[in-house]
Amino acid sequence: MADRKAELERKKARLAQIREEKKRKEEERKRREAEEAAKASKKGPDPSEIERKRIETEQLLKDIGIEEQKRAQAAVPSMVAAEPPGVTQKKAPPSADDRPLPTLARKSLKLSLTDTSVINIPPREKVAYSKETQTIVEVQEKEESEEEIEPPPEVVEPPPDKKEEEEKEEEAQRPRELTEEEKQQIVLSDDFQTFINNTSRVMERALAEDMDIFYDYGGQDLEEREGPEAGAKMSLQRQFNDERWSRYRTVTHLDWSAQYPELLVASYNNNEESPNEPDGVCLVWNMKFKKTTPEYIFHCQSAVMAATYAKFHPNLVVGGTYSGQIVLWDNRSNKRTPVQRTPLSAAAHTHPVYCVDVIGTQNAHNLITVSTDGKMCSWSLDMLSNPQESMELQHKQSKAVAVTCMSFPPNDVNNFVVGSEEMAVYTGCRHGSKAGINEIFEGHQGPVTSIDCHPATGQVDFSHLFLTSSFDWTVKLWSVKHQRPLYSFEDNSDYVYDARWSPIHPAVFATGDGMGRLDVWNLNNDSEVPTASVTLDMQPAINRVRWHSSGHQVACGDADGKVWIYDIGEQIAVPRTDEWQKFVRTLSDMRANMVDSQDEGGLSSGRTSMSSSPLR
Amino acid sequence: MSEVEEMLKRIQGHKGVIGIIVVNSEGIPIRTTLDNSTTVQYAGLIHNLSNKARSVVRDIDPQNDLTFLRIRSKKHEIMVAPDKEYILICIQNPSDN
Repeated sequence: MADRKAELERKKARLAQIREEKKRKEEERKRREAEEAAKASKKGPDPSEIERKRIETEQLLKDIGIEEQKRAQAAVPSMVAAEPPGVTQKKAPPSADDRPLPTLARKSLKLSLTDTSVINIPPREKVAYSKETQTIVEVQEKEESEEEIEPPPEVVEPPPDKKEEEEKEEEAQRPRELTEEEKQQIVLSDDFQTFINNTSRVMERALAEDMDIFYDYGGQDLEEREGPEAGAKMSLQRQFNDERWSRYRTVTHLDWSAQYPELLVASYNNNEESPNEPDGVCLVWNMKFKKTTPEYIFHCQSAVMAATYAKFHPNLVVGGTYSGQIVLWDNRSNKRTPVQRTPLSAAAHTHPVYCVDVIGTQNAHNLITVSTDGKMCSWSLDMLSNPQESMELQHKQSKAVAVTCMSFPPNDVNNFVVGSEEMAVYTGCRHGSKAGINEIFEGHQGPVTSIDCHPATGQVDFSHLFLTSSFDWTVKLWSVKHQRPLYSFEDNSDYVYDARWSPIHPAVFATGDGMGRLDVWNLNNDSEVPTASVTLDMQPAINRVRWHSSGHQVACGDADGKVWIYDIGEQIAVPRTDEWQKFVRTLSDMRANMVDSQDEGGLSSGRTSMSSSPLR
Repeated sequence: MSEVEEMLKRIQGHKGVIGIIVVNSEGIPIRTTLDNSTTVQYAGLIHNLSNKARSVVRDIDPQNDLTFLRIRSKKHEIMVAPDKEYILICIQNPSDN
């Protein structure tokens, strides 16, 4: 104990000595500084108010006898300054070890003092900062676009008010080059895919816009104007094809979007020339813009035999494939491959699907598909894993119907008509006691290629009528009330692949045949020959014909993968008010003729079918 | 051929198109169909311009945003489709259309 006391005593003495020494030094320095300050104040009138005030305050403080060290520390913070005597004395005796304490005290003091120094002399600080900081080039833009990952390594942020002037200085900084790998990485990123998908579409539209905004009506180019012959019955408006995706592929189906009348989806068969490309392709074409490339490209592994817009979902396209799979594409996804597909199982289709249709209303609709083995499935678009219902279409409980085409009358979800490979046409029901195939309509001499129920909008209901086309070179008009055709149109000299009613005119329909002839018939005008007719360039077989919902355009798809849009002349397309009455008369004439010909045919021992549709 | 290349080729295939450049948000070219010096020049300048244009649009209405920018000059038309992170630049010769 005594030892320890002695040691303590010794240390205290030494401390006092050190303190003494320091005080002396300090005082000396003080004096020097005061002299300097006095000199400075004498020399220049403005070593600044603050400087003078500070000295005054110090003087005052000194008078009171406290804290002359504080100032010294503030001025030279990095120097090992003397501990303020008050603090050391308070702490040293009880703790008894003196060495580490002063440093501790100094540290905490230094922290609190830095603050005051910043406030005290802002102008000096400012200079230092602006010399040393490097802002990244466009600080402001980056903040605005609220991303960009790389934070500049520990740059001292300048006060915000100086950003603008800084930016100007930084302008010169060159952005670094990216390496090939980095570029590749960016290109493969999802973000980039989305970006390129969207902007390339916009860019193409902008490019294809051929409106000349500098057009001068006062100039001479006025003579060259004047549109194509306005009186033409049919004129080619657009032609769509794509080198890579549609060439050498037959157009298997066409469908206009209900929500966006300018969009047309076309499905294509496989391309035998290039086995490496996907078999099935669907392209969405746009009539609104002059661009000649598809709006969307979809593909899948099996050839698409039928495609339709999902009527009540503007984004979805449904396709029936050769393998029997039903696929669903969504234009909101970045992918060109289907977002949903049905399984290839006995519960669904295992044969090619040629008929795909969405029926019902906005709130209750189903996807109906039929494959060539006669299986009819109904699906909910939300769940393609299992059909909601399925049914075998059989005639007389034995023979499966090889369905090639199907049509529902307007506003009917139960009754339907189908055309088959075995030349017959059938009516059927989906529900009720008579579910399945009901009646057979015979008359065609070849496989039926298309069937279309009358859209029947107008004063008289013609929904019992339907049209069929066939490989026997004819188009026939039927009524569900009669099992014999009402009329047979025999003006074609090749397979007739499609026949479709006009959506606005009760007596008008369009047909397309294997020689590239697109005909428009008006039954009120003439039932022997088409009212208007046009042959496509190069005479490709026309596989599909679809009216635009306006009734003023017809799209046809050919065997070479081209889609042609024809404008139909006003005088043909637009019905007059008396057309419905006239069509009633036309129909009764036809019925009378049919009865006559049947009577004649009845005499010649049941050769009615031949007499009503002689094959040339 | 990747989808990106296909798209660019398709745009390039339009009549009168001189070149296409894709740059990222820092103005660094990622894909181009032009020579290096022209690309770097266009990338830097158009990048700045589109940033400026965007800030103009946003300053006027903070809810608004720039979607497309066309610059018509005597010789060319520069079309700029800015996105969040990338910019597609297309230079065309409008008189060839």
